[in-house]
Amino acid sequence: MIGIDLGSRQVKLIQMQKGTVSRREMRDTIGFYRQYGRMHDGQLQIDLEEAGWSGDEVIATGYGKMAVSITGARQIPEIQAHALGAVFQSQRQSFTLVDIGGQDSKVILVRDGKVADFITNDRCAASSGRYLENMAAVLDISLEELSRYDQDPAEINATCAIFGETELVARIVEGCALPQLAAGVNYALYHRLAPLLKRMDSDLLVLSGGVALNKALADILARETGRQVLRLPDPQYNGAIGCCVFGGI
Amino acid sequence: MGRVGFTTTIPVEVLLAAGQEPVDLNNLFIGANHPQQMADQAEEAGYPRTTCGWIKGLYTAALTTEIDSVIAVMHGDCSNTQALMETLELQGMDMIPFAFPYDRDPQGLRASLYKLMDRFGVSEAEVEREKKRLDEIRRLCWIWDDLTWKSDQVSSFENHLKLVSTSDFEGNPDRFAVEMDKLIMEARQRQPESGKVRLAYIGVPPIFTDLYQVLESMGARVVFNEVQRQFSMPYQTENMVDQYICYTYPYGAFARLADIKAQVEQRQVQGIIHYTQTFCYRQIEDLIFRQKLGLPLLTLEGDKPGKVDARSRLRLEAFINMLG
Repeated sequence: MIGIDLGSRQVKLIQMQKGTVSRREMRDTIGFYRQYGRMHDGQLQIDLEEAGWSGDEVIATGYGKMAVSITGARQIPEIQAHALGAVFQSQRQSFTLVDIGGQDSKVILVRDGKVADFITNDRCAASSGRYLENMAAVLDISLEELSRYDQDPAEINATCAIFGETELVARIVEGCALPQLAAGVNYALYHRLAPLLKRMDSDLLVLSGGVALNKALADILARETGRQVLRLPDPQYNGAIGCCVFGGI
Repeated sequence: MGRVGFTTTIPVEVLLAAGQEPVDLNNLFIGANHPQQMADQAEEAGYPRTTCGWIKGLYTAALTTEIDSVIAVMHGDCSNTQALMETLELQGMDMIPFAFPYDRDPQGLRASLYKLMDRFGVSEAEVEREKKRLDEIRRLCWIWDDLTWKSDQVSSFENHLKLVSTSDFEGNPDRFAVEMDKLIMEARQRQPESGKVRLAYIGVPPIFTDLYQVLESMGARVVFNEVQRQFSMPYQTENMVDQYICYTYPYGAFARLADIKAQVEQRQVQGIIHYTQTFCYRQIEDLIFRQKLGLPLLTLEGDKPGKVDARSRLRLEAFINMLG
């Protein structure tokens, strides 16, 4: 079974056999479309065989699936794919899934293994992975380093990936130290999530998407919400894994 | 015969009694060939980008159509209408303010109605006579609505389109009635579209031009269009004041809530789409509907006229998938 998650910035491919991942690959979305896509009847058609992935049933999901079709693939909504992937990876049935990807974030309420409700950011990329990348670049540190700080945060309110920069520069000018600034960035992300989590509350918060790699955010979430926080072992491939689960592994 | 524009549903009987052609500027805007250009024109005139797309469209619609005056609903619709009225006045437009009373007080409504009647030089008897005539035409719209949710023979979009048109009866109630008669006869011959996810649509009509078609393509049907149905005055009433007191839309979230609750139950709705316009105060009211309706609710936001954007489609698809 091959699962493919057409993300806004990365395409994630997973092959699973007998419940375990046998192959994985992550590709830049634009490059992937350019290399393997052909326009057909006004729709971008992806040839997976050409991309080196073939010989198995394919289930696809993701941001690109409205406009992109994959030869021979079945497509499922991404909320469903993420929920299925998280149930499989966490081995839990009821939780709140917080998925923060490159350009969007989703909070999904999972009950008895099924989607009960969800919220997504709907207008802009504020408080997404792109925000963290931009802020790390302004601070001239890596994402790994940024994710180490969660104490004594500088006050940062903007989670806009662009205006956040202006605010960060203002704090640097005021003399805030790097650990405070980095913690402030992580806290800004938390503050944006907090009202969504209140609407989709569970005893367990499961983190997926690239931002799940940010340990500081996980620590902040645990501390501020008092909930158990679980980071999925394969957070970026969760949607693709969910596709495989849907297909039957 | 003159033409009078208005910014949302008003007691249209007054205009008809005065021999005026009613023109709902909303329908004029969204039904135009290039509604986005109309919103852009308002921005060029100085409307902030961070303002409701409908208000911008109404501004241009009022200035680019042949109308004698515009009735602006100052209370009971949109908090931006005052500035819309003022900026149209700046362009030399004859503006007539009208207000629904916040507390739904019949005396307050009567006063507003009388003021409007005086402005157009018509008597209460003449206006009530128009109401009786429109009662018969509105009854056709109620049948249309029944054909949507009871027998699944009228599509989500057809329901929306005809009910939303009852604010001005497309300028000519008699012609509208003839067309409704024909449509009803034709719809009754259709096979029912059953087995789809049953949705309610609450909130102001969408600025998206293909929302209903998108929903149907995803296996859902809108069997309740809240505000559009309200425009058709779905109540048996004796007089004008009663009718516009029963009408829920101008009287806040709680007046609307009672109607929505009753209808979603009767129509066996599985999920609700709450549409709000970007930059609109109604986005705050979303929390009331979420708390009080007890059904899965997706908040959908629209900014500019055009097709449903990719992210909204994705959310709609996931919502329908969750309900199905």
